[in-house]
Amino acid sequence: MKLLKIAAGAVSGLAMLAGTAMADDKPVVGLIMKSLANEFFQNMMVGAEAHQEKRGDYELLAVGMQNETDFESQINAVENFITQGVDAIVVAPADSRAMVRPLKKAMDAGIVVVNFDVALDEEAKKQRGVELAFVGPDNRGGAKLAGDALGKKLGEGGKVVIIEGNPGADNATQRRLGFEDSVAEYKLDLLDSRTAHWETEEANSVFSNMLTAHPDIQGVMAANDSMAIGVVKALESAGRDDILVVGFDNIPAVGPMIEDGRMLATVDQFGTDMAANAIDLALEVVNGGPELEGWVKTPIELVTAD
Amino acid sequence: MTTQTLAETGQVKRAISLRSVLNNAGIGLALLALILFFSVFTEHFLTANNITNILTQITINLILAVGMTFVILIGGIDLSVGSVMAFAAVVAGKAITLPGFGPAEAIALAVVAATMTGVLCGVFNGVISAYWALPSFIITLGMLNIARGAALQVSDAQTIYAFPIAFEEFGSAMIYGVPVVFIVALLLVLVAWFVLNYTVFGRLLYGIGNNEEAVRLAGHPVFWYKVAAFTICGFTAGIAAIVYMARLNISSPIAGIGFELNAIAAVIIGGTSLSGGRGSVIGTLLGAIIIGVLANGLILIGLSDFMRQMITGIVIVFAVILDHYRAKYTAK
Amino acid sequence: MAAADFDAAPATPSPQQAFLAVEGLKKHFGGVKALDSVSFSLKQGEVHALVGENGAGKSTLIKILSGVFAYDAGQIHLDGAAYQPASPHDAKISGVQVVHQEFNLLDHLSIAENISIEKLPRTRLGLLDKKELNRRAVTALEAIGLTDIDVRAPIASLGIAHRQLVEIARALQSRSRILILDEPTATLTKRETERLFEIVESIKADGVTVVFVSHHLDEVFRICDRVTVFRNGKTIATDLISDTSPEGVVHRMVGRRLEAQIAEGHETLSLGPVALGVQDLRTAANPKPTGVTFDLHYGEIVGIAGLVGAGRTEILRGIFGMDPIQSGRILRDEKEVRFKGPGDAIASGLGFVTEDRKGEGLVLDMPIAANSSMANIASVSNLGLIKFAEENRQARDAGAKLKLKYGDTADPASSLSGGNQQKVVLAKWLVRNPKVLLLDEPTRGVDVGAKAEIYAILKGLAREGVALLVVSSEMPELMTLSDRILVLSDHEIQGELKRPEFSEENILKLAYGRSEQAGGLTQ
Repeated sequence: MKLLKIAAGAVSGLAMLAGTAMADDKPVVGLIMKSLANEFFQNMMVGAEAHQEKRGDYELLAVGMQNETDFESQINAVENFITQGVDAIVVAPADSRAMVRPLKKAMDAGIVVVNFDVALDEEAKKQRGVELAFVGPDNRGGAKLAGDALGKKLGEGGKVVIIEGNPGADNATQRRLGFEDSVAEYKLDLLDSRTAHWETEEANSVFSNMLTAHPDIQGVMAANDSMAIGVVKALESAGRDDILVVGFDNIPAVGPMIEDGRMLATVDQFGTDMAANAIDLALEVVNGGPELEGWVKTPIELVTAD
Repeated sequence: MTTQTLAETGQVKRAISLRSVLNNAGIGLALLALILFFSVFTEHFLTANNITNILTQITINLILAVGMTFVILIGGIDLSVGSVMAFAAVVAGKAITLPGFGPAEAIALAVVAATMTGVLCGVFNGVISAYWALPSFIITLGMLNIARGAALQVSDAQTIYAFPIAFEEFGSAMIYGVPVVFIVALLLVLVAWFVLNYTVFGRLLYGIGNNEEAVRLAGHPVFWYKVAAFTICGFTAGIAAIVYMARLNISSPIAGIGFELNAIAAVIIGGTSLSGGRGSVIGTLLGAIIIGVLANGLILIGLSDFMRQMITGIVIVFAVILDHYRAKYTAK
Repeated sequence: MAAADFDAAPATPSPQQAFLAVEGLKKHFGGVKALDSVSFSLKQGEVHALVGENGAGKSTLIKILSGVFAYDAGQIHLDGAAYQPASPHDAKISGVQVVHQEFNLLDHLSIAENISIEKLPRTRLGLLDKKELNRRAVTALEAIGLTDIDVRAPIASLGIAHRQLVEIARALQSRSRILILDEPTATLTKRETERLFEIVESIKADGVTVVFVSHHLDEVFRICDRVTVFRNGKTIATDLISDTSPEGVVHRMVGRRLEAQIAEGHETLSLGPVALGVQDLRTAANPKPTGVTFDLHYGEIVGIAGLVGAGRTEILRGIFGMDPIQSGRILRDEKEVRFKGPGDAIASGLGFVTEDRKGEGLVLDMPIAANSSMANIASVSNLGLIKFAEENRQARDAGAKLKLKYGDTADPASSLSGGNQQKVVLAKWLVRNPKVLLLDEPTRGVDVGAKAEIYAILKGLAREGVALLVVSSEMPELMTLSDRILVLSDHEIQGELKRPEFSEENILKLAYGRSEQAGGLTQ
């Protein structure tokens, strides 16, 4: 049932019509998500809906995207929300630059805008004269947590590779930078760094080939857990249990792997709560609280077997 | 008039042998050249482990490409195989994790669920495009979305995991260093080769690709043959789903994005004409190996991801140019 | 190419002097001699016919003259200077234009755009000058007597005859000296052909030399001044039309007397029972409330004559289950049958040689053996597996019976000449031993020699008791083959002619029916 609602939400225009139940005086929050085909955002959406039911003092209109690069539908959603006259827009931008202009328009219309998950580009914000806080996890810091866990185990000179997310995606870049910070801090030996486009199957192939080229790999830093699973499978088929793997996101499927030691660690950024937290912050402002400023960091936590 | 004069004296025969050289030996030579190149310039390419890796890595693409060969031979295209694979994997993932079944029953159930899902999607593609004589490009583009949406819907966008141990072991099992899943793919190639070359069904698929009307007028039920080609393609997407699950021990609703393009690339590099009627599944096997060898070898020599993508693209363009000359030689 | 390019061409030579001379021309493709010593000449303002069987070398010569192919040996002189065009563009600059059998028109562009496509007029701003474009098109069409055409309409809206006239107008626009018409009447009706001839006459009067390639000797004798006959890549002779006869030309073409064979006496056989009964059959194309009714007996050849559009092909397609029929009954051996598709018709002993050999009859890229077993594949397979040896044997047997000239049964059908391709289509049905054979234009695009052979085959089939129903636009063909001719006009049978009544005049009288409109019997 809830998925049906989300599916309708994806067709943003229709959702707008359905959301005209604004006769009662509850504030209306427009939530703009990334691709709901992504488990991470799917869970986040579920969390937001549970949150709305629990609080019950606001209306939630949620819109998702067709895929990770479908910027157009996010922009359309902002414009529709403006027309709709929502009180707040809570947005996880698919592109850190493309979303600045429509969001500026929303702010000019007096709508409270909260930017979460991925920060809008500083330069672009300056250019448009936008002052907007960012609510979200520190992807780079999180990646460094995982990378540090690996660095501590391997010690100086440990040979590692990085499996990156989509080239050009902001969180992919931040996570890579975080891993590289750990590499620098622990003086690790970075043998190779390649993208597997967030994908299990591709990570499996790419890592197998890396392992062939560098049989002496000791540790793997994967920018998300889906790719970490692909790496673990590649290690199993290669019969190697001497290589440590860290991931990111703490999706349910990696739970058993961390328990039995196939993975060393992952990072939980409490994705399920992230949208809900951002909505709370937005509602505070709507209800007359102070404007948000700078970077409101959300909690991140290293998950290990201990 | 000229062509007929030429034809009457064996010019055509020479053109045909030239074509078969281009068709098979040409691809084989290209593959050998690649293998030689990577063997010389990388230290690990020609090792047993790496070859095992390559075979594992091409398996899914090869399985999808076998089905794709049937569809392209009749002049169609199936853009939905990646999504259908994901859908089949999710349905099978749901089936295999149903409580109350022993491992053997669960696995059997999953295999049936995956192949049936693939078959049903294939039947849909075939019936709609053949009955209304619509371009399969459009219909399967629709199915690409339908199946992807269905996969997300059924799985609630969650990755399904925790499969029976025996199933997971099948995915990584080897016989003399050859992955069992690759043997499965190779069996599919052999069956497809036999069907295309030695059966009435295969003969008529080639005929339909060349001249559908002539086959129809010879009294053959062209509609059903076309449906069958798409059904085979859906079936192989189901098999690919099983292999995907066994190898990675998960069913992801976002698996297989873009796989259709890799499968089409393998078929085209393998010398099957996009306009139908000409080509072979052995070529498809070679095409899939070329793609796999390139992906593997280019990582081993340390080329960047972006260069890899460019080179794969160049190979596809080159294959199509080759196809153009093949077509010219047959026309002459 | 701009018209202006040609304005600067040398002054035209005096009439009756050969201004284009071809001597000892040779052209090889690989090891194949396409042209082996071709010599002929063109005079200013004459209409010169090139005739010969398919594959005799006419097309190769045209392609050399128009700059598509280079030649290997020999000489061509134009106005006394060596002529060796490197490209079609070169040839056009020299004033040599070809109107091909398959048109080079862009369907979705306007007539005017097509006429000026080689050099579109531009305004000073570099934009397309539509006014000038349309003006040029109107002028070009008026030059060949076409005044009732909207030049802004797309080519796709024109019939075949008009498309051809547009091609001619385009060619003439750049002041051709030599206009080559390659099989211009193959797709025209009689009236359209007449119109074309009028245009040819007027072009000729302007001093343009017209080279006319045709299989139809009556047309050659209608409008040509001289005729050059090709055989096996050689020019056999050039005759003044006034000095020769159609028989003489055919004799030169085939090198042996065939016409006697074609006109061979027709033995009247005792007919068998009715093989196929058609009662009030209305095809989907038939707007009238009444359909056609006729019987076809075993051992009989019934011809169907009629103008294009009279509904001849539609009847065959309807009987064969290819197109749905509106109403009426079909009886096979006096039992009513309903064919849901060709498969049912074939199962009931029917075969259908369609008019479109390349589009419907053959799978050109596939081997001769595969084509000949296409409708009979069950007999050369077992449990869905093909028995290749059996299939090849079947193809060889059929080939021998039909005197098929081929290299190997594994060669693709496209490697054969038109006549031999048609024999493969026949083979496809004959290996089934059909009881009833429908044939639509059985000798279209087939040369004279192969035609005679096909007639003999069909008559042989009738003697063996097969019932044949033949649609043809060639009246001599129908009169040669048929025991009876049904004449169709506007989806109705206007009458039936028995052999003693056969004459083109009688057929035409019925074909035109009550409507007095002019038109042609040849398509």
